[in-house]
Amino acid sequence: MNYFKNEFDAFLDSNQHENESLLDLRKKSFKSFINSGLPTKKWENWQFTNFSNIENQNFRLPYSKNITKIPDILPGRIPNTYLALMINGFYQVELSDLPDDVKISFDDDHLNLSSEYYSSENMQNDWKNCLNPFYMLNTSMMNSGMTIHLKKNTILSKPIQIIYLTASNTDKIMNHPRFIFNVGDNSEMTLIEHYISSNSTSYFNNTVTNVGLGENSFLNHIRIQEEASNSHHVANTFYKLDQKSTLITNSASFGSSLYRHNINLKFCGNNSNANYSALSLIEKKQHHDQNITIEHMTDSCQSDQLFKYILSDESSGVFNGKVVVEEHTKQTNANQSNKNLVLSPTALMNANPQLEIYAEDVKCSHGSTTGQIDPEALFYLKSRGLSHQKSMELIMSGFISDIIEFIKNEDIAKYLNEVASQQLEKILV
Amino acid sequence: MLEIKKLHAGVKGKSILDGLNLKVKPGELHAIMGRNGSGKSTLANIITGRENYEITSGELTYNGKDLIEMAPEDRALEGIFMSFQYPVVIPGVNNTYFLRAALNAQLKHFGKKEINAADFMRLIREKLKLVNMDEKYLSRAVNDGFSGGEKKRNEILQMLTLEPKLSILDETDSGLDIDALKIVAKGVNDFRDSSRSFIAITHYQRLLEYMEPDYIHILINGKIVRSGDISLAQEVEKRGYSWLES
Repeated sequence: MNYFKNEFDAFLDSNQHENESLLDLRKKSFKSFINSGLPTKKWENWQFTNFSNIENQNFRLPYSKNITKIPDILPGRIPNTYLALMINGFYQVELSDLPDDVKISFDDDHLNLSSEYYSSENMQNDWKNCLNPFYMLNTSMMNSGMTIHLKKNTILSKPIQIIYLTASNTDKIMNHPRFIFNVGDNSEMTLIEHYISSNSTSYFNNTVTNVGLGENSFLNHIRIQEEASNSHHVANTFYKLDQKSTLITNSASFGSSLYRHNINLKFCGNNSNANYSALSLIEKKQHHDQNITIEHMTDSCQSDQLFKYILSDESSGVFNGKVVVEEHTKQTNANQSNKNLVLSPTALMNANPQLEIYAEDVKCSHGSTTGQIDPEALFYLKSRGLSHQKSMELIMSGFISDIIEFIKNEDIAKYLNEVASQQLEKILV
Repeated sequence: MLEIKKLHAGVKGKSILDGLNLKVKPGELHAIMGRNGSGKSTLANIITGRENYEITSGELTYNGKDLIEMAPEDRALEGIFMSFQYPVVIPGVNNTYFLRAALNAQLKHFGKKEINAADFMRLIREKLKLVNMDEKYLSRAVNDGFSGGEKKRNEILQMLTLEPKLSILDETDSGLDIDALKIVAKGVNDFRDSSRSFIAITHYQRLLEYMEPDYIHILINGKIVRSGDISLAQEVEKRGYSWLES
């Protein structure tokens, strides 16, 4: 943990211009991070993931705004979208293109002005019973990210794509981006949170994303994780849904040797909907761990979750999903499904779907299945003259097709379909 | 075209085919009849190359090529097709995409230009009419939500599209009502010509009333015990199989 201490001290020194409450919060958060340490196998909800690689590498915060080189062709760019570009955590104003309807803040403005989000009360609220050292770590050293606020009664015509690019760097860097996305009442937008890399040095991204949906609003949140294969990506996403709002999240994760995503979704008003679908396609020794809690605290809300994994080689996956239906709530509808395709005898999946229901007027379903490629299906395709490779690809792309079909925006669906196909080909080689 | 000599084969160590001989020439339709467990489906699986089926001795050649070590996909590319007894559902894989991929694999194998989506749609619409299938089946996943009869018609649709030289119809008549049976039989009959061969595997004579088999073979305990013309099938229909057991 020593490198964290050194980095934090140096970070505080260079951030003395920040307002006092923020500096104070950073110190408190770092203290609680040091007290808890990184999760170990003894921690419930964390037990299947080994974080020693994060502990043992000396990751450094990036300081210089002199980015080594901005790539000629930006990786991961999706057509017909607005762009917010960050390279190694630094926002690129000139290269970004954002609409007038959104209020954007970044760098010091973003971190200072949005301090209500970091109040300790809010932190307590987010992690009632669930200690999360990565959240504390992010708060103590949050150094990038941005706030996007879409004003009331506004429909954004194009999606916003945030590209968080980790570009070639000789240092092993770490970043702690903090994103705040707010959709005003009666407003609609599609937002792509895209992590990608052109880096070959090991690095560590530890993200926190706070998402708020106003009354009668709509958000399609796309989360794409295409980090480098030797990187570490820990993500923490919080959703709060006001009444009559609709959230559709499409998450697709392909990269990182270690990926852990903590997701917390709260219904804070009646008559809201949330649909969360997630895809992980992994190979070699990759490890993907997703932990989601959905809290039904209000009436007449519906949540649907679908998590799919394809695992090959010695990769491993964890799905930990919990739906909590609070006492005295009415007419909750909650569905949770997890399906996994394991391609090799050395790949491993741990799935733990849970329901905690304290109310009576509830419709809930949950299930998890883990299986292999159906040999009958494989033979059927081969018997029509398709090669082993092509047959496997077809079965796997069929397996993930519903996740891709959930994506409403054609450009995004096309992009993800291509990335997924490339990843499937890679997995099969 | 297909030559099977003294074939001994089985599955998971259990011997099923016991010295089977069969010769199919271009243009012929052979019907294989027999009870459950007589080895009919094993024969179909051996010819198409399904995993776990083992040939212990004997010969299996197709147009002079040894099939025994040939992968199922290569057999298919060489023109061997099976209409499955139980067509498999492939969730999420579009029926049209699958069929075009299969046709293109074949075109590529023969060094021909692949067919584009528009030309393929024109082709498949014509074939659909031949098996009286609605276009809506093209946009569905392979066999997903298809009734038993629809699945069998989808098999024949694939046959008509891929135009194999040797088609094995594994109990294609089972689960079909009389109208569907007539459609399937017509599909096969219209497809017959002097170069294509067929092996129709069936329990009953019913299918054979609508097709014109050149030979009927009775399979009992992994051996062809008697061969003849359509009158043999009629006799089996009347008397059952027991009189043929030695």
